Amino acid sequence: MPSRPHLVLAALSSAAALAGLLAGCSSDVTTPRVERSLGPTFANLYVQQQTLLGHTGLTAATVAPRPTCSRTNPAAHNKGAGTDWICQVSWTGPDHKPLKGKFELTIHPNGCYEAGGPTKVIGPVTIRAADGKDVTNPVFEFDGCFDTT
Amino acid sequence: MTAPTTTTAAPEALPATPATRGRVTTAYRWEAAKLVAQARTRVTLGICLIAPFVFVTLLDQQSQVPKDTLFGRWIHASGFATPLFILGFASQWVFPLLTSIVAGDIFSSEDQYGTWKTILTRSHSRAQVFWAKTLVAATFAVLVVIVLGLATLTAGLLLVGHQPLEGLSGTLLSPGRAASVVLAAWATTLPPLLGFTALAIMLSVLSRTSAVGIAGPLVIGLIMQVYTFLNGPDAVRHLLLVTPFDSWHGLARDHPYYGPLWQGSLVSLGYLVVCLAVAHLMLRRRDITGG
Amino acid sequence: MVTTPAVQARGLVKRFGRLTAVDQVDLRVEVGEVYGLLGPNGAGKTTFLRMLFGLIRPDAGELRLFGRSWAQDGPAALEGVAGFVESPRFYPYLSGRRNLELLAGLDGAGTRGDAVEQALKMVDLAGRAGDKVGGYSFGMRQRLGVGAALLRDPRLLVLDEPANGLDPAGIRDMRALVKRLAGSGLTVLLSSHNMDEVEEICDNVTIMRTGRVAFHGSIDALRAQAPDPAHRLVTSDDDRAMELAAEHPDVLATRQQDGSIALRAQTSAADAYLISLGRAGIAVRTLALEVTPLESLFFMLTDPDHTDPTPPAAVPAQPGRIGAHA
Repeated sequence: MPSRPHLVLAALSSAAALAGLLAGCSSDVTTPRVERSLGPTFANLYVQQQTLLGHTGLTAATVAPRPTCSRTNPAAHNKGAGTDWICQVSWTGPDHKPLKGKFELTIHPNGCYEAGGPTKVIGPVTIRAADGKDVTNPVFEFDGCFDTT
Repeated sequence: MTAPTTTTAAPEALPATPATRGRVTTAYRWEAAKLVAQARTRVTLGICLIAPFVFVTLLDQQSQVPKDTLFGRWIHASGFATPLFILGFASQWVFPLLTSIVAGDIFSSEDQYGTWKTILTRSHSRAQVFWAKTLVAATFAVLVVIVLGLATLTAGLLLVGHQPLEGLSGTLLSPGRAASVVLAAWATTLPPLLGFTALAIMLSVLSRTSAVGIAGPLVIGLIMQVYTFLNGPDAVRHLLLVTPFDSWHGLARDHPYYGPLWQGSLVSLGYLVVCLAVAHLMLRRRDITGG
Repeated sequence: MVTTPAVQARGLVKRFGRLTAVDQVDLRVEVGEVYGLLGPNGAGKTTFLRMLFGLIRPDAGELRLFGRSWAQDGPAALEGVAGFVESPRFYPYLSGRRNLELLAGLDGAGTRGDAVEQALKMVDLAGRAGDKVGGYSFGMRQRLGVGAALLRDPRLLVLDEPANGLDPAGIRDMRALVKRLAGSGLTVLLSSHNMDEVEEICDNVTIMRTGRVAFHGSIDALRAQAPDPAHRLVTSDDDRAMELAAEHPDVLATRQQDGSIALRAQTSAADAYLISLGRAGIAVRTLALEVTPLESLFFMLTDPDHTDPTPPAAVPAQPGRIGAHA
């Protein structure tokens, strides 16, 4: 009769083997998940930025972001964590002006990411608010997380 | 040596000790008393209380912000960012060590002092002693989380303020909402922390040394983290005990998601049950030949 | 009427890998007895005591304390039983008093201050009770161990070499304490490798050797089997002394390597021989008792080179008692 530590080892290695089998099936970081998180997060932050700049009346619904995300590395098949995620986002700015920009994302295996946007379209690191103060541009660089289960 | 009292008349009988069985609560109280008497316990809790204030003061003086950890970019903007930032990097590196300082030693110290034979020959069974020690270790883990969490929150509020917090879905969280997010986030570290507590207990019972009991969970935690960085299959990542330390992310948003929290709690429970079962069995069957 | 014995062991066996530490040991200690468990190091005494305390699980056989066993009753088997095996150990970072309070707490009795104080007084540690045990001498820890045992107000006291490692004054005091406790009606099981200690205090004794019982019975029965006393003799004319010894058939004299004579004889025969030496003009320069009779019997019984598995003289089994292993 094998001793207890050996039984524990056997149980753990079969669990690991099982997990390994399941590994190939799916990934936590997929394009739909990224797009579904980036869109609303960006929209909310854009509304904040515009409010700071004095352009009230915008809501996340009116901004209506449409992100298309992919990875530059073809071997990754647009799946998985990495530093090479690119999201092309088109949205509606103030005065119903259509805008678009390319965002670079670093996505971690736990579903959290850092996104950086194009200065030309969304502004630099700090912006001058309507009341004259210099504030951090909320949309220049931002964090987000999505559900990986 | 003074003249012993042995030369006087026959000794009076000691007051009769009623024949009682042990209870886990009694053993729990005495294990807690032993723990409190050890300097290491008081020092650890003291550090958990003081270090956050020192740390936040140092952070406050920097103009740069630590952007590589969640909420690091907002630590000057809102006092609520501080406890979440600290949670982000401390939970995976520091928490396993904080619990194993006690849990990795509470069993093997009896091997070190040779005192198993002293405490197992009174009125408590091995199972009762096992549960008393396990519960004391769990109590310490919970205490560490409470002290550290409240200290980091207080430090943030005192030194930065109670401004609204930028959440993870692009909206500002009101101070009240932010406070509840902070408290909830710290509470979600308990399942994986208790999982590490059980792991430390199992390692110290199997190895009978505190070195393995204390360093083991830390090393295992580090290996698990390295795996996460290496981008291996996600299915394995979901089974690691460090993953649930991140499950609070879903709470810091307008529309929270709880998937990782449920999954993480289940995984933590799995580790807890397996580790405690192994430890319990090994202790019950052991022949105590030392001491 | 047969009363429940304090300790009853039947066919107890314990193996560690290929080593059989305890091999079919039977033992019975009646209530009120002072019982000695003797044997050299490695005889299996400690393993037996650890099984008694539930620290080790026997591979076969049965062990009951006042009718209760670990297998059936768990820690309740130790009700009324207290003592220690090998040197008692405590928490060095707690004071002696605190250690005893902890143990009293684990007895389910709570911290009844007077019981702890009385135990400390009885082992003469009241003065140092507030100091951390880490600073105690070996002898103080031994005494604290006895105190911890008395705290349980036991009916059976199991002491494993309580005078071990003590200085002569400590040994004297410990033996006096054990004698006093034995005299107060407690059943005492005393384990030792020192024959004198056991002879002084115990009524009955079991001698163990390499895991088995080599002798089982009363001290008197043991004495009756003891060989003649052995002396070391140095005279002014050893050659003549040897010749004279040949003329005394009751005296066994052998020449030793260092030139002295090993003399083995009953007291009366030895007296006669020594007187004849004097009459022959031979002076006695050294006459020293080498080994007490019981000690020499002990060595004979426990000599691991002794290939004969049966004891030199089997003690007839007394009615109602378990006889020696044969």
